[in-house]
Amino acid sequence: MAVEFANSVPTGGVPGSTVVKRLSGGALLLGSLTIMMIVVASAVGPFNIPISHTATTLLDLAGIGESTAAPTEQAIIQSIRLPRIFLAFFVGAALGISGGIMQGLFRNSMADPGIIGVSSGGATGAVFAIASGASTVSTLFLPLFAFVGSAISMTIVFLIASVGGRFSMATLLLGGIAVSSFLGAVTTATIILTDDLNVQRQIIFWIAGGVDTARWESVRIAAPIIGVGALITVFVARDLNLLLVGEDEARSLGVRVTLVRNTLLISASLITGAAVAFSGIIAFVGLVVPHVVRLAVGADHRVLLPLSALGGGLFLLVADTAARVILSPAELRVGILTAMIGAPFFVYLLVRNRSRTSML
Amino acid sequence: MTHSVPGAADADARASAVSDLNGTGDDAGGGVEWPLLRVAEVTTVLGGKVIVDSVSLDIWRGEVVGVVGSNGSGKTTLLKTIAGLLDAESGVVAVDGFSVVGVGSGHGGRLGFRDRARRLAYMPQRAESHPFTAFEAVLMGRYPHLGRFALEGSSDREMARAAMERTSTSEFADRKLDTLSGGERQRVVLARVLVQQADVLLMDEPTASLDLWHQMLTMDLMREETNRRGAGAIVVLHDLSLAARYCDRLVLLHKGRKIAEGTPWDVLTPENLRTAFGVEGLVEPDPVTGKPHVLLLGSHYSESSGLIGTGRTVHLICGAGSGRQLMHQLRVAGYTVTAGVLGTGDSDREAAERLGLDYVGAPPFSAITNEQHSRHLELVRAADHVVLCPMAVGINNMRNVEAALEARDLLVVEPPVSPGSETEVAGSVGDYTQGRASQLRRGLIERSGQVPEVAVLFELARAGSAATLSDR
Repeated sequence: MAVEFANSVPTGGVPGSTVVKRLSGGALLLGSLTIMMIVVASAVGPFNIPISHTATTLLDLAGIGESTAAPTEQAIIQSIRLPRIFLAFFVGAALGISGGIMQGLFRNSMADPGIIGVSSGGATGAVFAIASGASTVSTLFLPLFAFVGSAISMTIVFLIASVGGRFSMATLLLGGIAVSSFLGAVTTATIILTDDLNVQRQIIFWIAGGVDTARWESVRIAAPIIGVGALITVFVARDLNLLLVGEDEARSLGVRVTLVRNTLLISASLITGAAVAFSGIIAFVGLVVPHVVRLAVGADHRVLLPLSALGGGLFLLVADTAARVILSPAELRVGILTAMIGAPFFVYLLVRNRSRTSML
Repeated sequence: MTHSVPGAADADARASAVSDLNGTGDDAGGGVEWPLLRVAEVTTVLGGKVIVDSVSLDIWRGEVVGVVGSNGSGKTTLLKTIAGLLDAESGVVAVDGFSVVGVGSGHGGRLGFRDRARRLAYMPQRAESHPFTAFEAVLMGRYPHLGRFALEGSSDREMARAAMERTSTSEFADRKLDTLSGGERQRVVLARVLVQQADVLLMDEPTASLDLWHQMLTMDLMREETNRRGAGAIVVLHDLSLAARYCDRLVLLHKGRKIAEGTPWDVLTPENLRTAFGVEGLVEPDPVTGKPHVLLLGSHYSESSGLIGTGRTVHLICGAGSGRQLMHQLRVAGYTVTAGVLGTGDSDREAAERLGLDYVGAPPFSAITNEQHSRHLELVRAADHVVLCPMAVGINNMRNVEAALEARDLLVVEPPVSPGSETEVAGSVGDYTQGRASQLRRGLIERSGQVPEVAVLFELARAGSAATLSDR
């Protein structure tokens, strides 16, 4: 990945311009890889479309030139593959950036977007939608219920952490674990107690995580939430740097600690909630991506957060494309694939960097 | 102490604000003296317990004030409250007349977060570990000076580089903080504090994990900031001698209250050491700096902790500095020490006075009177051990040597070896009594032997333990 250019930043570094350099370099690299991947992902699948047809179709959609593809091919690209590609990218970006935020806030590279119970809340909401039959009423009910579930569980965890008027990150973490365990139990109980095998299958399928249900409608809803949330975090990225150094030190350097922390927690939760609502639970993206990006470009969140978003988007896009192709014509859920790739890769990183990376 | 008068225009504008803070200001005319930092009756409560109890303190430009006190006396809490990291229960903190803690009406106004950070820099006790490089960490000191989206410019980077040069941290500028040692991290934080260019430096044990050289460097840098830029500093220090050396004023905290304030000589008294720290100490002028130097003798609990000399009395027959060092050593070892007969102005007498020993004094250069001699004999007889030091003997103090004959247990200390001496017995004692003193001394040596000074404590310990065994 982008490891090489970053580690070769000269001694006596010049962070002001380094921020620009690292950010533009990383964005250029990840951006061009993403564009290449969009073309590839539009081409491959049970119905293979030649790359040349795909490229001209995409250019046509972008308002450049004419598509050379057959109408069927164009239809497949436009209404089946592209929404899925975009959703995969946005969900991956959401998980990447919120993982970066959580790792920074908790000063721990083991933190992931779901650490304060957002994901399990979303799962419970989805389970409720499926079990109650609400998901059959409208296709939007499943993500809506999931999002509401995320929001409720996040609020509960916040309230737990604020008991006694003094907000505590440690209580937030422990409250998140407690709420997650409880909601996990509720989900499992629902699966076991329901008589309807179809409902069971749907729940398990949803929990495994994937973007295969993507339609333009889902992109239109998820993308703005994720985009706005990501934009907000860019405002406070530098404050997060100082928070990572220490709460007292941040405050003594003029950071509004409470405001910054709450802004970050809420936007990370909203971003994650939106991602979970449309994709279920996709493991390891939010954990591994910021971790790798940090190894490559350092811990400055002004660079780390935008590149984690791009990197997460690219990673999930690659993973989803692979999930479509590997067992073709059958499909692997992308959540299973990310965990299968992510976990060993993560172990590899841990072992390789054990001596130089602690970040706690 | 440098009480500088700030610019008159500034002063006029804000003097009334400061005078409101505690009503001591006089805003009748221009040029009113008012402090860079005013801490007025600040009280901090943590977990329902009063940790800082109505502490007031003024810092003037160019001044370094040391805060000393035992663990839990409220030093760190006071510093954090001033820095705005802890909420004060009551009281006001104002920089240049702008309140930063505790809002009241009619003040110069309250500073915002960033304004405050431009005026007050805080250096925590423990330098945290994090994944930023040392250079990035130092550059963070520019945060309060930069707009929200402003990137650090070349002048900021130049400042950071210069600060790293000064704190000798340049060599690991590109290493991440979590790969540095505690002392290295502390110096990185110091560099960040320098880069922050604040008017007031609040430093919590800035030398805690540093080696001696870097301790001096840190304190020198802090003094440089106050002398050159006119910054003010409050430093929490545990090393009292270091505090005395570098601070213009000291504030002594005890159980959250300020129990003493003033020059190091005013604050570091044996009484204050006893009250605030529970230790017996001596305060002597440092031979190099002339500043107070604190020598610790032992804690209040020495008696129960069973030091070797606890409960035993040693009498020193000495003079002209021959017994001074032993006096200290014996006191530290827990012995009750007496001495005699010592003339006024004798350096041994000064030492005995400082140590609060029971001794027999005499006017300078006069013969020992019968009355002095008999008091001296009382001390000699009362002592478990008597040590005869290798002082020069003349007619005036001849009776001191005679008194040694009455000792229950005597140790004669070998005269120190004089360099270049060709005599067979290395070193000799000045004798101005036509040999009478030397003869008597030889007789005493025949009876009880002679030991070098370094062996005195050892011999006393042996005699002491033998006595303890025979007691059983």
